[in-house]
Amino acid sequence: MIELVDLTKKFKQMYAVKNLNMFIERGEIVGLLGPNGAGKSTAISMLSSLVEPTGGDVRFDNKSILKNPAAFRKIVGMVPQNIALYTDLTAEENLLFFGRIYRLGGKELNRKVDEVLEQIGLTDRRKDVVKNFSGGMQRRLNIGVAMLHDPEMLIMDEPTVGIDPQSRNYILETVKRLNEERGMTVLYTSHYMEEVEFLCDRIYIMDKGNLIASGTKDEIKQILSSEKTILIRADRINGKFVEALEQHSLINRVTIGEKEVTILVPREANVFSEIIKLAESTGLELLSVDNKTPTLEDVFLHLTGRALRD
Amino acid sequence: MIGILLAKLKSFIRNPWTFLIFTGMSMFFAFIFGGANVDKAYVPIHAVNDEIKDSFIGQQIEEQEGFQFSWMTEDELKEKIETGNAEIGVILQENDFNIIVGVDSFNTSLVQQIILGIYHEKKEREQILLAAGQDVSDKGNILSEMDQVMERPIFNLESASFRGEGAFVYDNSLHRIFGFSLFFVIYTIAYNVLPILTEKRDGIWDRMILSPLKKSEMYVANLLYSFITGYFQVLVIFSMFRYVIGVDFHGRFLETLLLLIPYVFSVVALTILISAIVKNSQQFNAVLPLLAVSMAMIGGAYWPIEIVESKLLLMLAKINPLTYGMEVLQGAAVYGYPLEELLFPISILILMGVVMTGLGIHLMERRHI
Repeated sequence: MIELVDLTKKFKQMYAVKNLNMFIERGEIVGLLGPNGAGKSTAISMLSSLVEPTGGDVRFDNKSILKNPAAFRKIVGMVPQNIALYTDLTAEENLLFFGRIYRLGGKELNRKVDEVLEQIGLTDRRKDVVKNFSGGMQRRLNIGVAMLHDPEMLIMDEPTVGIDPQSRNYILETVKRLNEERGMTVLYTSHYMEEVEFLCDRIYIMDKGNLIASGTKDEIKQILSSEKTILIRADRINGKFVEALEQHSLINRVTIGEKEVTILVPREANVFSEIIKLAESTGLELLSVDNKTPTLEDVFLHLTGRALRD
Repeated sequence: MIGILLAKLKSFIRNPWTFLIFTGMSMFFAFIFGGANVDKAYVPIHAVNDEIKDSFIGQQIEEQEGFQFSWMTEDELKEKIETGNAEIGVILQENDFNIIVGVDSFNTSLVQQIILGIYHEKKEREQILLAAGQDVSDKGNILSEMDQVMERPIFNLESASFRGEGAFVYDNSLHRIFGFSLFFVIYTIAYNVLPILTEKRDGIWDRMILSPLKKSEMYVANLLYSFITGYFQVLVIFSMFRYVIGVDFHGRFLETLLLLIPYVFSVVALTILISAIVKNSQQFNAVLPLLAVSMAMIGGAYWPIEIVESKLLLMLAKINPLTYGMEVLQGAAVYGYPLEELLFPISILILMGVVMTGLGIHLMERRHI
């Protein structure tokens, strides 16, 4: 359906996106994962024909959308990262406004507005001014506006930033339902790996403008097949213990948290007794040592040496 | 396009404070400095005898409009000067007068000119009587006949001056109303153009770009809305002064309103250009007051541009829409120029508007496909 071919965006001497190649098939939910500043928003702005790329192409059904974006724009709904709404207007007035710019009118528009309000759970608040809404409600309306014209594809740029867990779950469930019930194709960008793990069939991981991994969840986690993650918790992590871990020949990577240390070790290695010995010798009071199931966060850590939310 | 206008109108009705604040400020300042006649300087005056007060001199003084002359005793007059309640005072004698100066200002020479002129006129009338050889009993008749003849002269003598050669008429009330209106409307228009920046930042424009809406419709709707609110503000201010306070537009009220159109258009264009150059609303908010106040200062909104002597400021005034806006309004209402006389500043305003709109939209569009 959509194909990005060597898509590149350069601002002065800096590459925001460099030679990005990806594809999205009809009916898929594809995740674009990466930390802030990875180039996700620039990539989807180019994909949605809003920003002109420095190089490469975006193809929709094998036709470039750069020269003729109209056909693609008809089938796409955009959910920007910010609240792209008129906050002095009510929820209903916003939906009516955005419906009209999509040339909807009369009974059809009213029916669509009712339907969307129902889907995003704001029917009871339709007459309320948006600026009085909670962050979660504003986010839901932000998504609702993008669904008014029944798009085939929804592009969502970090749609859950800064909202409460309840609203986040509501949004994730709504996206899942849209995909399952209507076969809606979704490109979902986020730096919350648990959202992407929950929603997406396939995942692309970006960092510093480059694509560093892609595939299904399992395929990506296979990157860590040769290693396992061990989580060490203690009352207070001391420098000597960390130094000892870093110097240990079996430990590939050490990441330090406030009350925990994460280490990557070869899958076959048994380092539990070694860790307990090191703790004893450096005066560290251990709380727990756990063998962790690998997550996308671990994959990202493995590939870049940084956590996703750094 | 209609949809965008309606949405903006609804937002305006729910949140009209920017409009109301700048309209109120504009009216307040114009009223304080122009409409309330506080510029009429207070001048205490005393006549050494009551005959002078009742004579031609006293009558002429009371007809003066430029100053507020107030009769009192000599002691009261001196007290007013000493306590700083008046800058100057005048003591009238039979054939002479004294001016007591407390604070030396340009009012001193103006008052001196006025009183001197009255005494000259009195002397002229006495000379006419003398030349006519009339006795005292016919004095009233010959002077009243002369006054009647002077009201219906055989020849009408009109004096005119070419623009730019130094002659200027100053109507304080109108100048303040025009000046403050043109100044504050910059803010009203700018704060209606500013949402373009925030809508772009928040993604509302991206949503509209992805819709079947044409870019031209988006720009026209936004510019039209800014123009309408700006024009409506000036309309409210002018109507308030014309119909409520009773300021005389010298019969050119309607023309004044129509001639505002090019100015409002050029200010909309200017704010579009600013919003295209700045990177965010914080920069816009920082640049706007600097620009608006500078424009008002060198464009003659606060004081008549005719008193500015600096060549640099006068040169900058030539690229300032407010200069031409003031020129058009003053030309119509104060100087009574016909439309042909005003075509030059009107053309410049339209040209500025077209160039700045084009440049502004071009700069805004560089980012998008």
